[in-house]
Amino acid sequence: MSELRKDIISGRWVIIATERSKRPDDFRPRGGGAPAPEAVGFCPFCEGNEAKTPPEVFALRAAGTGPDTPGWTVRVVPNKFPALTRGTPPPKVAEGIFQWMEGTGVHEVVIENPDHAFELSDLPVPHVGDILRVFQQRIRTIESELHYQYVQLFKNKGKEAGASLSHPHSQIVATPIIPKRVKEEIYGADRLFRNFNECAFCRILEEEQKAGKRLVARNRHFAVVAPYASRFPFEMAVYPLRHSPFFTEVREDELATLAETLKHVLTRLKDTVGDPPYNMVLHQAPNPSLSLKGWPDIDKNYHWHLEIFPILTKVAGFEWGTGFYINPVPPEAVARFLERP
Amino acid sequence: MKKKILLVEDERALCLLYEEELSREGYAVTAVTDAEAALAELERTAFDLIITDIRMPGRNGIELITEIMGLRKDIPIIINSAYQSYKEDFMTWAADAYVVKSASLDELKAQIRQLLGD
Repeated sequence: MSELRKDIISGRWVIIATERSKRPDDFRPRGGGAPAPEAVGFCPFCEGNEAKTPPEVFALRAAGTGPDTPGWTVRVVPNKFPALTRGTPPPKVAEGIFQWMEGTGVHEVVIENPDHAFELSDLPVPHVGDILRVFQQRIRTIESELHYQYVQLFKNKGKEAGASLSHPHSQIVATPIIPKRVKEEIYGADRLFRNFNECAFCRILEEEQKAGKRLVARNRHFAVVAPYASRFPFEMAVYPLRHSPFFTEVREDELATLAETLKHVLTRLKDTVGDPPYNMVLHQAPNPSLSLKGWPDIDKNYHWHLEIFPILTKVAGFEWGTGFYINPVPPEAVARFLERP
Repeated sequence: MKKKILLVEDERALCLLYEEELSREGYAVTAVTDAEAALAELERTAFDLIITDIRMPGRNGIELITEIMGLRKDIPIIINSAYQSYKEDFMTWAADAYVVKSASLDELKAQIRQLLGD
């Protein structure tokens, strides 16, 4: 018998296959090993090809090296052909029942390292920490422009996850409106805060740590959980143990632990399922200078976190039609598989 | 001396139109209809600029650009596609400009002038 489980924050239901569930080997590429690296011809993100990107807006680079030259370790550039263009958004325009506005926003690419082949899980922990610090710096900078209400940080790894280039990179997109999915999570967290009189994410963390059966990793600052109502096999959520709605508020000592945590779980994922494509997305409160006005309790009821979705199954008609997801691997099994052997 | 442009476009009617319009602007245009022919022309002639479509039979425009980067990185390239969606492919960054096809060639001509410093 399968189980229907509810994500209490979003209200979304998931079908979890508790019997005849799949095992990690079922998701490995045929032949057993990790997928062969793609042949690298030209790559605009590789060191030495800086002239092919727009001028960098930020970089960690060796002393004595100039902007847009080799010698960097993490480099941020605006999207060369962006879907949204930087600028103050004009007001929405109504056309009958329809609404539109000019496509203003920010789209930046964070090139995580100069080497085409080194993914987050391959990098030394201090380098992962540097990448996280750069994420914070860029989010703070973009949020200082008050018309960007939401800053979305995400990473697509692998073609199936939407990456058009295998050189490791993340993307930051800031929009002049708060996306619907973000609003749903905020409203859900707000509703539960009023029920529980505490942050629902903190409550989930407390219960998950007590139960332990969906806990993938835990250290002094972070816990990684296979969510109770996971939509996808090997889905994970990385939660800070210290309550905070904003990723930009992560302290230096916590950032170093987050780097360790990320490297650990991504390495375990790679070793267990064979280097799958995945999406990693940051969930955080909207631009702090605005969100506190719109949601006065957001500092109490929202809790930033990272979600990691390996792409091991396909989203098809049933999921699109109903919003239900069918997950063939129970999160309890994911936690067992991903624990250090 | 006229600046030389290599046009890679699989629709012959568009090749004729572009050739006529760009010749009128004072450029020497060589039009080919696929990536293989483009690479062959690049071996023969030192072009000042390349304009390429993306969707073409055989190797597509992005594969062509990748190949060109292995030969010469300094030649300006303009992607001229009917589709916006290829902008999401970061390999298009190997090109210097991305102009979506339209009835008017004004934007394309402006990009050419900018990239050639005219």
